[in-house]
Amino acid sequence: MNPLKIKQLFTQYKILALLFAIALIWAFFSWKTEGGFISPRNLSNLMRQMAITGILACGMVFVIIAGEIDLSVGSLLGLLGGVAAVLDVSHHLPLPLIIVLVLACGLVLGIFNGYLVAYAGIPSFIVGLGGMLAYRGIVLGVTDGTTVAPVSDQMIFLGQGYLTPAMGVGLGVVLFVLAGLLTWRQRASLALHSLPVAPLWRDGVKLAAIAVVLFAFVRTLNSYEGIPLPVLLLLVLLGGFSYMATQTVFGRRIYAVGSNMEATRLSGVNVRAVKLWIFGLMGLMCALAGLINTARLAAGSPSAGTAGELDVIAACFIGGTSMRGGSGTVYGALIGALVMASLDNGMSMLDVDSYWQMIVKGFILTLAVWGDVVTRSGRRG
Amino acid sequence: MSGYLLEMKGIVKEFDGVRALNGIDIKIKPGECVGLCGENGAGKSTLMKVLSAVYPHGSWDGEILWQDQPLRAQSIRETEAAGIIIIHQELMLVPELSVTENIFLGNEITLPGGRMNYPAMNRRAEQMLAELKLTDVNVVLPVMNYGGGHQQLIEIAKALNKDAKLLILDEPSASLTSAEIAVLLEIIRGLKAKGVACVYISHKLDEVAAICDTIAVIRDGQHIATTPMAELDVNRIIAQMVGREMNQLYPKQDHELGEVIFEARNVTCYDVDKPERKRVDNVSFKVRKGEILGIAGLVGAGRTELVSALFGAYPGRCEAEVWLHGEKIDTGTPLKAIRAGFALVPEDRKQHGIVRDLNVGQNITLSVLDSFSKFTRIDGEAELAAVHQQIGRLGLKTASPFLPITSLSGGNQQKAVLSKMLLTKPQVLILDEPTRGVDVGAKYEIYKLMFELAKQGMAIIMVSSELAEVLGISDRVLVMGEGKLRGDFVNHELTQEILMTAALDQSH
Repeated sequence: MNPLKIKQLFTQYKILALLFAIALIWAFFSWKTEGGFISPRNLSNLMRQMAITGILACGMVFVIIAGEIDLSVGSLLGLLGGVAAVLDVSHHLPLPLIIVLVLACGLVLGIFNGYLVAYAGIPSFIVGLGGMLAYRGIVLGVTDGTTVAPVSDQMIFLGQGYLTPAMGVGLGVVLFVLAGLLTWRQRASLALHSLPVAPLWRDGVKLAAIAVVLFAFVRTLNSYEGIPLPVLLLLVLLGGFSYMATQTVFGRRIYAVGSNMEATRLSGVNVRAVKLWIFGLMGLMCALAGLINTARLAAGSPSAGTAGELDVIAACFIGGTSMRGGSGTVYGALIGALVMASLDNGMSMLDVDSYWQMIVKGFILTLAVWGDVVTRSGRRG
Repeated sequence: MSGYLLEMKGIVKEFDGVRALNGIDIKIKPGECVGLCGENGAGKSTLMKVLSAVYPHGSWDGEILWQDQPLRAQSIRETEAAGIIIIHQELMLVPELSVTENIFLGNEITLPGGRMNYPAMNRRAEQMLAELKLTDVNVVLPVMNYGGGHQQLIEIAKALNKDAKLLILDEPSASLTSAEIAVLLEIIRGLKAKGVACVYISHKLDEVAAICDTIAVIRDGQHIATTPMAELDVNRIIAQMVGREMNQLYPKQDHELGEVIFEARNVTCYDVDKPERKRVDNVSFKVRKGEILGIAGLVGAGRTELVSALFGAYPGRCEAEVWLHGEKIDTGTPLKAIRAGFALVPEDRKQHGIVRDLNVGQNITLSVLDSFSKFTRIDGEAELAAVHQQIGRLGLKTASPFLPITSLSGGNQQKAVLSKMLLTKPQVLILDEPTRGVDVGAKYEIYKLMFELAKQGMAIIMVSSELAEVLGISDRVLVMGEGKLRGDFVNHELTQEILMTAALDQSH
């Protein structure tokens, strides 16, 4: 195949390029660590590390699609994680109540951010920057700058619990059946509207690949402790948000607002409300990530989530979300999060100095967006 | 030597398959002032952008000879170096920089080490402004401290500071007072005496007649005539500008006019940047059921501002009272306006019409997405059925509703935007330049649709810069000029000359 065709292929199937990049990264680290990187224990660890960034990326991707940015998510995660720890350690509230309260706080703070952006007209970059400072200040005030510990066992289970192997296998089967159903429905719908349907063998290959990945995923995690709860949560979010993006009125409007806000407003869409709720969702994701983070560390740390927003934003851009808004996918952002987590994890295993880790991550982000710019430039009108 | 400073031969410029210029020939001698006349969108500005290499050589066809040598400039820098200086219609000043800094931008007088020689530049700037009889300007203050007229003269000073052999003035007098215009014309006469040639573009034909030696008229991208001014008068220029035959382009259908259903009272819009300036000044009008009302006027007359204000889409401060069926209604935002029964197809299709990242079908249903959703989930089948129905109704040419909207031609994009707004089932449809950048076939279909909608009882308000279109479609025509209503004509024995005269009215 000539280079031009490869470029076309990658432009069309950006996801392929990303998966290819992950395969390269994993192969490199596996080779360097003599297989340690792909041991079940490490992969389980990697997945749990990725969950926090991944949860935030699920919210951030919509913020970026809508043409905005939110720099406050790291601090907001720290604040909400801290609130969860204080409610648990100092007030001994039952876990369900803590979850509800923290989610409510997240939603309210997110909507507050959204109000400042959409109704008060303050650029989201500034609202994020202000929130980044203010929310971090509140955490330091609430926790007195000290770590809040020890959190209850139920809470720890939230971050460190696992599905039983049988449940893991069940989940794998359910996901495979779902993939099969969706593929079949898509084929039926395409045929109904006399659109070109991909040849049967190609969908067959796709399903087979999904089966192999699911099998490897469940098998690997089961051979350690099972599927971690945060990873399950991430899968649920992936499904839910993908549905929202592609099937709902709200999802369609997010893309419309990000692509051309003025045209969308003139079509009778309340664009401010759309933006408000996107930030509300972002706040909810910060609450979830804060809960999981506190549970995973078994403590509320005042510095939790510091600089986390950078990883999250990088994950979205690596995952092919457009800088100018209007396009992007949830699964892309999650794959971006996986790239970031893999780099962190692999380089830590190799004992690479942390300054080198930062340099490499910065390089990869720039490279990924450059690749995006190059493959996009042909379409510029 | 041919004796000509500039010869443009057979200039053709296309945008996305639409011919904006179709074989233009212009010749200019040193010291000659050529008036370039034509309706809005005739191609005047496009032609000047070709000449000044805003559109570089190679992006258009034809030949430019500059002092008998072929000119193949790639950028405005090269044409400026050759001596072709353009003063754009839109002001190109940096508001935060001082008057001097603006005049010398890109052309600074420097001291050793690249330091700005402010004393020399300030002195020269003051001298130049004095020549323009502009004595109340402090050259070290930022340009934004001065009003539109002053800024225009500063812009002219900036151009004069460069060594011009050919000066292009694109609507230079739009924001000048008559005293300032007199000074400007005097300056141009002085330049002509020094052998500098000018191209003067203006809608104010009395100025053109006063200053120009030759008049070149273009219409729809075609070169109509080049005539010495001595053989012309203002009325004959207007005749050349509009002189187009009415033919079968307008598929007129009889439609009944009903009672008055829509009324706009005392619409006033203030400029976004200069709140003290009125863009629309106390305009009131009525529309009847089944009536097509045309709104004519020149660029900047306030037509788009007027209709945006009615739809709740004007970005600045505005006051408008809107009545529908004898009831006063609130159209403060587009959402409220749509719910009340209004629809607007905006002028700027790319900025305000289409959503680039959505496909054709998604663009069409954007306005009524709620009606296809159950518990917020979009019913894809119902949505697609509506899309197919609209595509059939408007004759929208697309291979599939799933194609990107950007893959369609201008005419079909316009039909998609029109479909989107028609799905809201409006009672009053506002069309702002509905056929701009649209090919003849699609134009015909849009007109046909307009007549059908009027027949069904819809009230239609159409803003258009094409006088022939206004006359071919409307039952009644409003003419606007400088934010005010300049005329209200029933379309009976109405001519383009009458409309143009009303629009150009200099009686103020």
